[in-house]
Amino acid sequence: MNAIYVLIMGFVVAVLGYRVYAKYIDSKIIQADPNRMTPAKMYMDGVEFMPTSRNILYGYQFKSIAGAGPIIGPIIAIQWGWLPALVWILAGTFFIGWVHDYSSAIIAMRNDGASFGGLSHRLISPRARIILLSFIYFYLLLIVGAFGNVVVSTAVGLKGSPMAWLFLTIGGVLAGQMIYRWKIDIILTTVITVGIAMVGIFLGLKAPSNQVLGDSLANSRWLWAIAAFVFCYFASVLPIWRFSLPVNYVAAYIVFLGLVFGVIGVFILRPEFTLPAYTSFKIPIGPIWPIMFVTIACGAVSGWHSIVSSSGTARQLENEMDARPVGAGIMFLEMMLALFALIIAGTIYGSAGEYAAAVAKGPGGVFAEGVGKFLNAVGLPLGLGKIYGSVMMIFLAITIMQLVVRFMRVATAELLSDISPIFKNVHIGTLVASVLGMVLVITGWWQYLWVLFGGANQLMASLALMLVSAWLVSQGKPAAWAMIPMIFMFVTTIAALLYTSYNLLAKVFGGTLKGEALIGNTLMGFTSLFLVVAALVLASEGFKAFRRFRAMRAAQPQPSNA
Amino acid sequence: MSEKQKKKGGFFQSVKEFVYGVAAHDSARFALKTRASMEHLFILITMGDMLGVPILPPYYSLRLLPYVVPQISTWKRRMLREKDLTDGLA
Repeated sequence: MNAIYVLIMGFVVAVLGYRVYAKYIDSKIIQADPNRMTPAKMYMDGVEFMPTSRNILYGYQFKSIAGAGPIIGPIIAIQWGWLPALVWILAGTFFIGWVHDYSSAIIAMRNDGASFGGLSHRLISPRARIILLSFIYFYLLLIVGAFGNVVVSTAVGLKGSPMAWLFLTIGGVLAGQMIYRWKIDIILTTVITVGIAMVGIFLGLKAPSNQVLGDSLANSRWLWAIAAFVFCYFASVLPIWRFSLPVNYVAAYIVFLGLVFGVIGVFILRPEFTLPAYTSFKIPIGPIWPIMFVTIACGAVSGWHSIVSSSGTARQLENEMDARPVGAGIMFLEMMLALFALIIAGTIYGSAGEYAAAVAKGPGGVFAEGVGKFLNAVGLPLGLGKIYGSVMMIFLAITIMQLVVRFMRVATAELLSDISPIFKNVHIGTLVASVLGMVLVITGWWQYLWVLFGGANQLMASLALMLVSAWLVSQGKPAAWAMIPMIFMFVTTIAALLYTSYNLLAKVFGGTLKGEALIGNTLMGFTSLFLVVAALVLASEGFKAFRRFRAMRAAQPQPSNA
Repeated sequence: MSEKQKKKGGFFQSVKEFVYGVAAHDSARFALKTRASMEHLFILITMGDMLGVPILPPYYSLRLLPYVVPQISTWKRRMLREKDLTDGLA
């Protein structure tokens, strides 16, 4: 099949989903009201609660939700064939993805801009809040592990990428200095620092890491894992304007330009899918159900989006009518990004064997190869395009990773400072998060790590949908449109996590593993078991809350028809 | 301005705002958060006088008060709002 048909199908699903399904839910069930005050207006504090233009929120929401997730998932999932992956991306977004993102924003907006911790306390139970926050900590640890693995495998596999990574970081730090200290014009700053990043991409071609450092260092996973965590360390302990924000700022241009020209390249080349539409029900990481449904997380449905929608976007919406375009509309845009990744993986290799050899080295190489090919169609030399793709991949992953390490530093201080005040120290908190993440990166097999991250991510989505369903029931509104996706995601992700943890722990207790693999499997196996237990306790609390709300609604006097 | 020109300006304005949202909106939010945390301190040192407990000598409080008063209503909202860990992620 031609890749253009896939993009057309995506476009049709997006139009139907947005214009018909989402519009119906928004107008008939949620009854969005342009005259109702939003928390951004009602509690305007000039910082977090601030009415913001819909167009700015499009960009903010897209940048916050579209990391490495929608790209890597389809690249791995195509091992089952491109057809199941395509169906899940389209159907998942249509029936679940937008419902989740939009309703997370709505529930926060209708509850005074409360975040998920507060909502679970209010709607379910006080215990639910503590369990949810512990769940989120381990979920974030898996994000660090999975994304860190992507960074390391890309740096090892594509020798031009470390130089580009270094130069982009230098450009970012300089951007911070120019904007905030030297007060230099933002456009000039952008031109200079994005230019420095481009020079780094060019130098990556001329001076790959194996020439600069030698083969053994360039191939060392330890070296690049340490580099990634040193990057995150600076992002965590330095003032946010000095490192984290300006680096993200410069990286945003590199990623944005790469995506725009990459999509143009797809339209120019109009490639055919060369990989099989369907391979088999079961592959080494597991069967289609439940494993494929968690492998493609962000391109179909992702729990991360609920955190962004509730704690970020909902506090900035100036009008209730903006929740659908921002919450649902941007989810459909992310679906298109996942389809772009699927097209890359499905069309650039001559055979399944070639693809298998490439993906065994990590998903970054597949993505970089594809970006290189499509940028070549718009005139960029193939080698440069490949390095461009690799640095896009690194920054798509590491921008989320550094945010999560910073957050885990704060969470470590909150959770452990009662045990010892030393955990309040920013360096100790960062070190705890970095060591835990690094152990996962070094010892975990990346495909299992990705499945566990996807499982935790989807489970977070189902917990968000549980909160939404509880709220809908409490308001006496129809809840099936959120509750059925919640049940599907809950059952699927629990099955995926149990299946994967069983596989991991069977090898641990079978005595076949030694060294790094033993540590990695044990850590991953028990983390996923913890997530399952936490989710089951939350589900039981949620079930009690549903019954409570139903009983309360039944006890209320019904309006007379007379 | 004709309807066509308005539409054109509207489209470019939308694109500009979208790019701002992708690249710089987060920076602006974090800059505001940093300023807000400084304002917390600023207001707290004058809060004593408002409660009748002088912390700073009254002369300095009086000098600071005109800068503080316009911020009080939004500051109250920030201080009294329930917060949790997930606020740090978005």
